[in-house]
Amino acid sequence: MITAEQKPLKEIIDSISPYEKIFLVGCNECVTVCAAGGRKEVGLLASVLRLHYLKQGRTIEIKEITLERQCDPEYVEELASEIHRTEAVLSMACGCGVQTLAGRYRETPVFPAVNTLFMGASEAQGIWAERCQGCGDCLLGLTGGICPVARCSKHLLNGPCGGTSHGKCEIAPDVDCAWCLIWERLKALGLEKRYEEIMEAKDWRSAGGGGPRKIVRKDLLL
Amino acid sequence: MENFEPEIIAFCCHYCAYTAADMAGSKRLSYPTNVKIIRVPCTGKVDALHIMSAFEKGADGVYVAGCLEGDCHFKNGNTRAAQRVAHVQKILQDLGWDTQRLAMMNMSAGMGEVFARTACEFTEKIKQLGPSPVKQMNTDSYRQTQR
Amino acid sequence: MQKLKDIEHSETAHTHVLVIGGGVGGIRATLDLAESRRNVILIDSAYSIGGLMTSLDRTFPTNNCDLCTVSPHLSENTRQVYLNLMPMTRLKALTGEAGRFTATLVTEPRYIDMEKCTACGECYKHFPDIVRFTPGLDPRAPTCMRYPQATPYAFSIDMEKMADITALQKICKADAIFPEDRQQIKTVEVASVILSMGAELFDPSGLTHFGAGKFDNVVTGLQYERIMSASGPFEGDLIRVSDKKRPRKVAWIQCVGSRGINKGDVPYCSSVCCMVSLKEAMVTKERFAETIETTIFYMDMRTFGKDYELFLNRAKTDYGIRMIRSRPHTITEDPETKNISITYALEEKALQMTEEFDMVVLSTGFRVPGSSVELARQLGIELNIHDFVKTDPFNSVVTSRPGVYVCGVAQSPKDIPETMVQASAAAGMAASNLTAAVDIPEEDNGFIPEKDVSTQPLRIGVFICDCGLEIGGLLDMDKMVEFAGCQTDVLVSRAVGHGCSSESMNLIEESIRTNDLNRVVIGGCSPRTHETKFQDLLRRAGLNKYLVEIVNLRDQDAWAHLGHPKEALNKAFQLLRAGICGVRKSRPLMDQFLPMNPNALVVGGGVTGMTAALQLADQGIKVYLVEKNSTLGGLAKSIRRTIEGEDVGVFMSRLTDQVSTHKNIMVLANSIIVDHSGVPGRFKTGLQTGPRMNYMQIDHGVTIFATGALPNRPDAYGLGLHENIVTQLELDVLIEDYPEKIKKMTQMVMIQCAGSREPGNPNCSRVCCQAAVKNALRAKTLNPDIEIYVFYRDMRTYGFQEDYYRQARNMGIQFIRFSLENKPEVWVENDRISVFAHDIILDRKIQIETSCLALSTGMTADDETTEDMAMMFHLPRTSDHFFLEDHVKLRPVDMSVRGIFVAGTARSPKNIQESITEAHAAACRAQALLAKKEINLGAAVAKVDSSKCAACLICVRACPFSIPFINEDGYSQIDPAKCQGCGVCVADCPAKAIQLFAYEDDQILAKIEGLLGGLN
Repeated sequence: MITAEQKPLKEIIDSISPYEKIFLVGCNECVTVCAAGGRKEVGLLASVLRLHYLKQGRTIEIKEITLERQCDPEYVEELASEIHRTEAVLSMACGCGVQTLAGRYRETPVFPAVNTLFMGASEAQGIWAERCQGCGDCLLGLTGGICPVARCSKHLLNGPCGGTSHGKCEIAPDVDCAWCLIWERLKALGLEKRYEEIMEAKDWRSAGGGGPRKIVRKDLLL
Repeated sequence: MENFEPEIIAFCCHYCAYTAADMAGSKRLSYPTNVKIIRVPCTGKVDALHIMSAFEKGADGVYVAGCLEGDCHFKNGNTRAAQRVAHVQKILQDLGWDTQRLAMMNMSAGMGEVFARTACEFTEKIKQLGPSPVKQMNTDSYRQTQR
Repeated sequence: MQKLKDIEHSETAHTHVLVIGGGVGGIRATLDLAESRRNVILIDSAYSIGGLMTSLDRTFPTNNCDLCTVSPHLSENTRQVYLNLMPMTRLKALTGEAGRFTATLVTEPRYIDMEKCTACGECYKHFPDIVRFTPGLDPRAPTCMRYPQATPYAFSIDMEKMADITALQKICKADAIFPEDRQQIKTVEVASVILSMGAELFDPSGLTHFGAGKFDNVVTGLQYERIMSASGPFEGDLIRVSDKKRPRKVAWIQCVGSRGINKGDVPYCSSVCCMVSLKEAMVTKERFAETIETTIFYMDMRTFGKDYELFLNRAKTDYGIRMIRSRPHTITEDPETKNISITYALEEKALQMTEEFDMVVLSTGFRVPGSSVELARQLGIELNIHDFVKTDPFNSVVTSRPGVYVCGVAQSPKDIPETMVQASAAAGMAASNLTAAVDIPEEDNGFIPEKDVSTQPLRIGVFICDCGLEIGGLLDMDKMVEFAGCQTDVLVSRAVGHGCSSESMNLIEESIRTNDLNRVVIGGCSPRTHETKFQDLLRRAGLNKYLVEIVNLRDQDAWAHLGHPKEALNKAFQLLRAGICGVRKSRPLMDQFLPMNPNALVVGGGVTGMTAALQLADQGIKVYLVEKNSTLGGLAKSIRRTIEGEDVGVFMSRLTDQVSTHKNIMVLANSIIVDHSGVPGRFKTGLQTGPRMNYMQIDHGVTIFATGALPNRPDAYGLGLHENIVTQLELDVLIEDYPEKIKKMTQMVMIQCAGSREPGNPNCSRVCCQAAVKNALRAKTLNPDIEIYVFYRDMRTYGFQEDYYRQARNMGIQFIRFSLENKPEVWVENDRISVFAHDIILDRKIQIETSCLALSTGMTADDETTEDMAMMFHLPRTSDHFFLEDHVKLRPVDMSVRGIFVAGTARSPKNIQESITEAHAAACRAQALLAKKEINLGAAVAKVDSSKCAACLICVRACPFSIPFINEDGYSQIDPAKCQGCGVCVADCPAKAIQLFAYEDDQILAKIEGLLGGLN
């Protein structure tokens, strides 16, 4: 899942300050699940913005809409009939959604209300942690299901650096050393030998080093 | 601000604070008329959106009154409510508001006195803080938006 | 109007219980029986039921108007299908035996055809000086209706006073006047009989020295109540009879006709009058003017009930009510001013004082009327020396005739809560003579089908109750009605006097029908107490019961803002608008039902727990009796004798045997409760039991808490310093088991209120005065030469215990009063015990050397246990850690959580007989709930809108009861039968895909809007 969190209020306010008619658009997918931009957060942010404008003695008209998925043109199309009524769009979706909106409605400025952070998993209620960087060449089969690209601060592929200490990374005491985790997991799986295999230098072109990526499924093309 | 009479909304749990308010009434314990109660089955039901809405509509203060810690009829609804209150306080802070305009309180059904006392104290505090910032700034435009 | 069912042709003979007397006790017993699906016949010689309580203005300790609290109970009657209500009826004869009685009932003519009467009131309008029940202050007129909420809602005619019946017939549009009506006699087959005739209040006009009936401004307590009552002669205005002016100085005189041995007196104490006068004095200041000086002349202040001592303290400190300990001897009237002079002597000053008052209230107690003595004779039941019904020493509801039970004041003087307890106990006992419960199909409830309102435009009716003067006295009814009438979609807005009275209920129902209303707002008292009643009203009117909104104008507005009518009115406007906005968003909802678990859990194996368990088990209910100690018995095991001299040990061992061997009781000794979950009717409780603390889980539908209290052992008066400084409990054992020790003693001193009625433990322990008198009498009987001194603050030998107190004084036991500021001191030197005290009459220090010092230490709450249980079962407690019942007056053994009951000393200190009665009451209430096959869980359940759900799992994780799950369609699903209705998931859902019925977000937002919209 893509995770995001709301931008600082000041930044959001600054971005929309010239406008008094706003579409505030949420997304019922990833950002709902990570409580950053679903119907609830849309409602809250709308409320906050209205309060801010009230305090300034200004009025703001906010239309709250939460789309099923902001990164699909069909869902984004739902705004078409009403987009002319607004001066700006504030999107609470991830960057994909913001761009889809901006690409569809070229006459209207679209601003992000959240910072898209990472692809992560839910560790517990209210906690999400980075798990994947989308490198395009998955190594998890070699590393006991723990990704060194996403979870090692230095993206090392052949064991920990000297900064590891008692299983923790040197950047912060609450960050696990990915390679310690990998070693423990391989041991538990009886696959210690894997650890000794040298991984060759990674080809980062598939990770975006070769420019923007795209998937084309020819069988699905219409 | 001599004659400022704040509008205060209290979200009260049916099982404790709402009953305590009734108890205060039956004991004829007086508290300011500023406090108006909205009954909820549990403070765990109180949504951040409800609190924000109350401020938007012109509440000068809002409080959520639930059961004593550990006494929630639904196990932990009151602690969930306290977390949400803290979250909305953070939002208010970002908006430059005094976070004291929002509070979480705990009392049991038998505590009519506590209900009356906290209602008095909270009203007094809000009186000191003055009208809600949305009203302070521009009453005219506020009136307009509320219409 | 209640349509009386014909019971003569009942095919199921001996399945009925006959309840005699429709006061609060009789009504409670009747409702309990009907609720547990037993057939009941309630007869009352009056033309409508209600009894004495309905003529009181307000009742302690909540000081609210009785009409409002009791009327829902009265009207509850009219909808119970198991009930036959027979007013104007008395019992003529009872033959047969328990389980197979034949009762002969005589019904007097009403001269009004109940089938035709619409209770329009026309007949009453043409006799304007009548209608209200104002004993001694107003002449009663030919047609009478006792009070506005009367049930049944019908008039009756006093034929003897009615000269021209045709005039009356002309007035009646319904043609209901029925001059040919005749006395009717019928026989009914009943299994048991419950007596709840109550008693009269003493009429002091026969006494020569108090001026009652002679001086205008000397009134009895009941007359004073009527003067203050909204339905009284002055419509709720406190004015003097002589000049119709507001009195500035009012005095109360206690024990008028009670606790005396002179002409016209009765020797017993009426138990309630101290609280009644305190209440009247407080209400006087509260409702009329704080400046009215109130003075109470009393002998002993007997505030021994639960939290009553706090009430007394409040009267003194917060209300400034003056208390003078004296029994005035002369009362005179100033012929000019009609003021009343009271002459009295103070015990601390050897002089006579005279003081003038504007009004004097004589606090008179209960008297058994001749009709009750006659009834007892007909029934063949024994009476005690005071003509109250004699009962079993260990069961205060069992009379001398098997199958005949008694409750309330007919048994002994008592207050409303104790009457309620006894009524439930009597109902439970009476039901045990019946076979199984009777099934009447639910469809017979008489409700018409619900109207479909989904496509209708909003049509709102607003009905604002004046609640006597409780609301209307402070808030301007006309302005509220006008305000509500101006709101959008409001078609009807009107005031209703006593909204919960049957007249007003019918009026509202009629208005719903004629105006085709589809939403209703009631401005009145708390929805906590009255919502169900108005929901039923909607159902009768063909609307879904969730289309009503109750606006709490009484408890949370009028009562809380006395003295601020303007501000309170503004608040009322806001509350009304919130109610109207809220009801606009209300939707028809369906209640959820689940099958009931038939088992009971009783916590605590003392006398209370065992009695409750036995009562339930005898009714075929499987009972789990949990006791934390290794043996049953509790505190009662350490008591030897009651004040009446009964052997507690023999009783306890018999009870313990019965409980231990009962096939339906599973005794779990050495057991502690470790967890609890579930909903009323389907509880699950986990225990660790036995020497190895094995875990087991119990499924049960109801729970009774009988966890008891602890004997208090305060660090006071040298307790623990000397083997002869003992508590009353220890003295009891000493007297019974070591009489030779008592015989050797020369002096004995007792100190009352040791560790109670003082800061830290402000309440009265209730049982210590009787314990002291009991032990003093036994010690004196064993050793007539012993000198016994009892240091006391107020002797609280309530009811018939007064006989023993008097006997003790007659036997030469010395009672010496002390005050909290001047407590006795105890010195222990060279193995000798000395008590130093200030004698108020002598006004000097006295010293008594004593062989034995007995401290009346009373009891304290078992804080640890009640705290654990309160946490696990979510139960409220009082400030001194006893369990707090749902309603201190009307539901004394019900806890706020449905299906959980409390009895015995876990609720408040009480003696063994009182604990037993409460055990029976709790068992009866529990059984009434278990008699239902299904439990209604209400409609407040959460529902997921699958089109919005993102399957994020937040609700699944947040639910305190783990009810939501992601179904095979990939959406969250909440089982309505399991949902507890807290709404946590609703507030947490990031997709706003969940709504809690009856508390939907749009309703809450609408209420916020209603409260604040259009302000500033």
